[in-house]
Amino acid sequence: MAHVATLILLMPLVGYLFVLANGKGLSERAIGVVATGVVALSFVLTVVAFFLLLGHSDREMTVHLFNWISVGSLHVNAALLVDPLSITMCLFVTGISALIHLYSIGYMKGEKDFRKFFLYLNLFVFSMLLLVLANNLLVTFVGWEGVGVCSYWLVSYYFDRDSAASAGKKAFLYNRVGDIGLLIAMFLLFHATHTLNYLGIFHAAGTLSPTVATLTVLALLLAATGKSAQIPLFNWLPDAMEGPTPVSALIHAATMVTAGVFLLVRMSPVLAMSPDGRATIAVIGGVTAFVAATIATSQKDIKKVLAFSTVSQIGYMVLAVGVGAYSAAIFLMIAHAFFKALLFLGSGSVIHSLNGEQDMRKMGGLAKYLPLTFPTFLIGWLTISGIPPFAGFFAKGDVLTNVFEHNKPLWVLGIVTAILTAYYMSRLFVLTFRGTERFREDTHGHDPHESPWVMTLPLVVLAVLSILGGLINLPWAHGRSLAEFLNPVLGYVPHVAAASTAAQWGLAAVDVAAAVFGLLAAFSIWRNITESSRYESSFLEHVWHWDDFYDATIGRPLTEVAVFSDEVIEPKVIDGAVTGIAVATRNSAEGLRKLQSGFARQYALAMVLGFAVIIVYLVARVH
Amino acid sequence: MHSSIYLTVLIVVPLLGALIAALVQKTPGLSYVVAVVTSCVELALALVVAVLYSPHVKGAGTWDFMSRHVLSAPLGLAYDVGLDGISLLMMVLTALVLVLALFGARDRRQEAAFVGWLLLLTSFTMASFLSHDVLEFFIFFELTLVPSYFLISGWGGAQRSRAALKFFIYTFTGSAFLFIGILYLGFLNQHQTQGALTFSYSALQGASMTHGTAVWLFLAFAVAFAVKSPIFPFHTWSPITYAEAPTAGSIELSALLAKLGSYGLLRFAVGLFPLALATLRPLILTLAVISILYGSLVACATPDLKRLVAYSSLAQMGFITLGIITGSKIAMVGAVLLMFNHGVITAGFFLIIGFLEKRRGSYQIKDMKGLQGPAPVFAAIFTVVMLASIGLPGLSGFVSEYLILIGTFGTHAWWGAAATLGVVAAAAYLLWAYQRVFQGKATGANAEIADANAKERWVLVPVVVLIVALGVFPHPVLDRISPSVNQLIHHVAPAGVKK
Amino acid sequence: MNGLVIPSIHYLAILPVLIFFGASLLLLVVSALVDTKVTIYFATAITSLTAVATVVVAFFQWSYVANHGASTTVAHAVVLDGFAVVGTVVVAVGVLLSSLVAHDWAKRERIAGADFHILALASSAGALLMVSANDLIVIFLGLEILSIGLYVLVGFDRHRVTSAEASLKYFLLGGFASAIFIYGAALVYGATGSTNLGSIAYFLSNNVVLHPGLLYAGGALLLIGFAFKVAAVPFHLWSPDVYEGAPTPVTGFMASVVKVGAFAALLRVLISALGTQLDTWRPILFVMIIATCIVGAVVALVQRNVKRLLAYSSINQAGFMLLGVWSGSARGVAATLFYVLSYAPVVIATFAVVTLVGGRGDELHSIDHYRGLARRQPWLGGALTVLLLSQLGAPLTVGFYAKYTVLAATIDSGGGALALVAIITAAIAAYFYLRWAMWLYADDDVEATRVAVPTSTGVVIGVGVIVAILFGLWPGPLVAWCQHATLLFLP
Repeated sequence: MAHVATLILLMPLVGYLFVLANGKGLSERAIGVVATGVVALSFVLTVVAFFLLLGHSDREMTVHLFNWISVGSLHVNAALLVDPLSITMCLFVTGISALIHLYSIGYMKGEKDFRKFFLYLNLFVFSMLLLVLANNLLVTFVGWEGVGVCSYWLVSYYFDRDSAASAGKKAFLYNRVGDIGLLIAMFLLFHATHTLNYLGIFHAAGTLSPTVATLTVLALLLAATGKSAQIPLFNWLPDAMEGPTPVSALIHAATMVTAGVFLLVRMSPVLAMSPDGRATIAVIGGVTAFVAATIATSQKDIKKVLAFSTVSQIGYMVLAVGVGAYSAAIFLMIAHAFFKALLFLGSGSVIHSLNGEQDMRKMGGLAKYLPLTFPTFLIGWLTISGIPPFAGFFAKGDVLTNVFEHNKPLWVLGIVTAILTAYYMSRLFVLTFRGTERFREDTHGHDPHESPWVMTLPLVVLAVLSILGGLINLPWAHGRSLAEFLNPVLGYVPHVAAASTAAQWGLAAVDVAAAVFGLLAAFSIWRNITESSRYESSFLEHVWHWDDFYDATIGRPLTEVAVFSDEVIEPKVIDGAVTGIAVATRNSAEGLRKLQSGFARQYALAMVLGFAVIIVYLVARVH
Repeated sequence: MHSSIYLTVLIVVPLLGALIAALVQKTPGLSYVVAVVTSCVELALALVVAVLYSPHVKGAGTWDFMSRHVLSAPLGLAYDVGLDGISLLMMVLTALVLVLALFGARDRRQEAAFVGWLLLLTSFTMASFLSHDVLEFFIFFELTLVPSYFLISGWGGAQRSRAALKFFIYTFTGSAFLFIGILYLGFLNQHQTQGALTFSYSALQGASMTHGTAVWLFLAFAVAFAVKSPIFPFHTWSPITYAEAPTAGSIELSALLAKLGSYGLLRFAVGLFPLALATLRPLILTLAVISILYGSLVACATPDLKRLVAYSSLAQMGFITLGIITGSKIAMVGAVLLMFNHGVITAGFFLIIGFLEKRRGSYQIKDMKGLQGPAPVFAAIFTVVMLASIGLPGLSGFVSEYLILIGTFGTHAWWGAAATLGVVAAAAYLLWAYQRVFQGKATGANAEIADANAKERWVLVPVVVLIVALGVFPHPVLDRISPSVNQLIHHVAPAGVKK
Repeated sequence: MNGLVIPSIHYLAILPVLIFFGASLLLLVVSALVDTKVTIYFATAITSLTAVATVVVAFFQWSYVANHGASTTVAHAVVLDGFAVVGTVVVAVGVLLSSLVAHDWAKRERIAGADFHILALASSAGALLMVSANDLIVIFLGLEILSIGLYVLVGFDRHRVTSAEASLKYFLLGGFASAIFIYGAALVYGATGSTNLGSIAYFLSNNVVLHPGLLYAGGALLLIGFAFKVAAVPFHLWSPDVYEGAPTPVTGFMASVVKVGAFAALLRVLISALGTQLDTWRPILFVMIIATCIVGAVVALVQRNVKRLLAYSSINQAGFMLLGVWSGSARGVAATLFYVLSYAPVVIATFAVVTLVGGRGDELHSIDHYRGLARRQPWLGGALTVLLLSQLGAPLTVGFYAKYTVLAATIDSGGGALALVAIITAAIAAYFYLRWAMWLYADDDVEATRVAVPTSTGVVIGVGVIVAILFGLWPGPLVAWCQHATLLFLP
């Protein structure tokens, strides 16, 4: 088991080092095969590990690799924690990654930095696995930062585009702000529990004072908002769409952005100590879900819509965590990974067929040209909209039911968001695949072509997963569900009366109604228009002016202060003091020099004066 | 206990190298060869000593390779060397930086003199790090000014004279206080012991003094070291000096000589006057945090790459000072480690900047754009160094910075939290610089520049290797630092230092 | 009907003085009798011989003192102790080096005859008398002999009017100072009933001076007399003008030999005679030192004439030497002795370089004339760099230990603040030393001509550099010697 777990982690690293070592020697093909192969391999290994784990009675085992840091009371090992949660994460991370690697071979064909792309991608998978498999906060942090920097590289992959470069920087900086949260959380926990090991922390969690617990949870939340693009740090994600589409699918939809949710679930025993903390989490999640959904309704760029939809969906997950429905959060995370990856790859296929066009106003009527992309995308659309029996319906339903049990107002917000979700996805679907063809100038009159099999195969697989994904956690499948599998490692949540079966059917019905309503609304509005100032307010299109706000309140003032320090404070004030002393000395020199008149009589006078002074002193001394 | 001969050789070898280099100056290029050979020998030797070092010598605490020879009793002058876990890293760094400077920043103008000064500088720095005698330390500490001065004024940029003078006078003035402090301490101790005048470190550690005296002496020491490090607000000599010095000079100054300041602060100020800590800690912690934040702030705005590194160094030295002063063992170990890591990282920065300057003839950010296109290798290595400096886990910078922060947070939560902001700031100015220099579309001369040649790559290899290795396996190094820091802490312990 | 009683004379004690007078007279007589002017070579040879002979005598004096301890002779008017011996050696060396420089200078300036050497020897005899004097009157005697010779030497250069002007100034003010000194001596006699330092000390330690006014005034006047000779502020104003005007070799002579004599006598008077009055004169010195250090360092910043610059530099150095006096301890005396001892060769060598660069007519003393010197003539430039670094107090030069010893003594006597001020002025001084050094290495110099380096001057410069570096690396013996010498201080 230990070796399996280690291999799961190391496979992508091996691939990375192999490609790195072989320099320019390898052909695109070879690179693609190796990079995809190692990830596929670690997926297989994960499956093995999964079944081994099922076999085990004790489902928490630590794999010690080596002693990393040990100073005084601080002992940190590079070690892995294999438990239901980490394995579940590994399963879908490696699975999706493998598919997207495959897809990328086709999508990135002939790119200048093809090799570099796959290097980053493998490194990313390694970091992501490190993040989920770590047995202590610090190693998780390594993975956490690793995925962050890979995302930075991949977002600014087209580095000669200034917009891409800025987007990468923005992503990194927003994440850094979040990282402060994780650092502070670690500091607080270490000085409270004298360990950074998850098991150690959970063991001592009961001893945390309410204040420390709440501070820690809020710090963790800050970290999560950074990585998982939640309010107030959510607006880096849309810019991150500058990266190649497979990157958007893998990093900015399926895996990395859900790391924040994972962290919160991982730390759920600590969350359990702070009701206030959890309440805050729930509110952040709910509000983010709603805000992002509203914004998604007015975006013109197909990837932007999907980006905000991602933010919104993660909002759901955070909301679930907030109300203590941890397994529901993971469930949605997995389902979301399936259909959002599907949608992104689908949109990628569309963009690919239109020579890189991303503006939905220049699409339309693509259904008949993309025989494979269209149906799969259709499934993705229905899934995210929450139409039964697709995965999305069950996952979102699970979340909303739990929210309903704990917090009615947020549930309402959730339903509204559900309507919006169905609405903006349908809008996207209509504008892209239905209606008149508006893409001719991009394709120079040609018909759009379907993508090669390496790109369409993943679409098919993901479509199937989106259809069947619900099975892993059916409400009525007791004993076999994800929830039962995960619960042992999740934090305790004060029990509330679960909704009755009737109520559950009722809630399900409401979800469906919401979805259908959103769908119909979208169709009725967007059937034959492509833009409308009425339904696309510039306020929403400009993300509630969120960026402008930060720019006005933080960005520009800081820049001005920096420039001021560099141009005024530094030379004039601080160094000014130094040079001031020098100048003063020089001036006094000029002054003293005047005494040097050159006249002997004055020199004699000076001597007499000196004598006089001494005499005065002596006289004073005598008396 | 190993023989002190090793350390003596470490000090003498560069001197001999300088001598030979001077003798063979007639034949062009030969002096460079001599210097290179010397530096390699020195480095090898340093590594041998580092491996031989054993922190558990009977009766000498964690000191090894010790011996003391009184040169002049009336002067209290002695040749007294020793090595412990704290000076160990500095010793290796000294040798390493010399190698990097020689290979990476060769300057063919009056080469014999150039390498001669470099070797002398190395010898003096080595001696000050290996001194186990306060007066001896001071003498070599002062002495490093002379070669640095001639390196800057002889091979520097347009404003080299101004820079050299400012550097010399500023540091010289700073160490004036140190000088007086040392003498005062020596006589204080002599009057107590009624013995001979001595400046032996361990002897002076025994000197008892009132709280007030301790505070004044600490301040006298701290001023000199704050100037050298530099720490806000005593830093204004460093940007112009780093900017005007030749690349080799910038490397020696920022990677190595700056550490004399922090090393002195830890070893002598904290080590000799623990009583003063209680009083002065808030002040110094605050200055350290200001250094971090203010340095980062200015680094965001400065238009010159070398100045940018200078200000980022100011921020890094702030972290080091924080770790030294905060009084947590973890933080102290982190600080010592960061002294080394920052040395390597800054050396890496200045090397790359030097290489770019050779191609573009400028240090100005605005003169560069999109270099990642024509020079991917430079971009990649710069990225590694940058990320290490930002504190990316898995790279060397992180371990040290993390130790400092987590330690500080335990003893002084608010300062720790404030310092944590520096983590974001560092990312801000470095990524911003990276974007302007390496990203975007390269045009004109920028599109033409050649990527790193084989020699340049080989020079940068050790930098990258150390950055990665110390990020992943810092353990062996930490094991050597910890005992000595423990010993120091035990001495300082009465002044309320957390174990 | 008893005749004059001749006091017993221990000739070993006054032998150096006699030798110098003898040599001076010899040269005088010879150059008077021989109608063709004696060659400069003869004069230099005699002077060198005298110096060497004196050093040899000093060696015997030392062994005598080591065996029999310090002693006085000529009715306690002259003392033979370690201190005197060291002083004698320094004077001898100083004269030797100065005359070597003067040799080449005289040849360059076409000055035939032995006049310079005669005068130098004569006034050096005065200096020798001062270092071994144990009586105010004898000190005054030495002072006058020393000065009169100097007055002439300063005005020695007939080609430059500044030389004559300097000489006149120096004569006027010097006379004034001497008058003050002798008056002081009279007052002290009045207060203590003796001019003998030993008797004064004895009297003061066994009697309570009810009306110290007289004594104080006398002491103050004596102090001023010395302060003038060592150019301590505010009695320093003459020195920049005189240094600038005097022929450069003479300037070197003044900065070294004269200081030795003056400081030796000052130490004897203040510490052995008025040691009991420490608390009275210390504050005066305290202020004087601070003023001297600051004025010396600061005003030098704006000098472009290197001779004036060195004048202020030596004022600053005098401030440091006074630190040892202020501390009033054996350590302090030894420190000042060591300072003077190590400073003399270095400063003479520095002026030797200045003499060379000054060129025919001794006029080129602007700092501009040093641009790129080290590039054209690495050895000469390097030597000057070392000499400057030594005066700056850089480690591994003797200058560092000179400062170290005096500062140590000061702090040992509780003068931390004073020491701090002094060392900070050293940091200020570093500026002009370094700026000068920097000009040496400036590479933008225009068609400047090479400076010829004659042998004997070259030797002097070499000696200065060797002293600076050798004792910078290995100060122990020299320091120990000075300490030992002061242990044998005072009868």
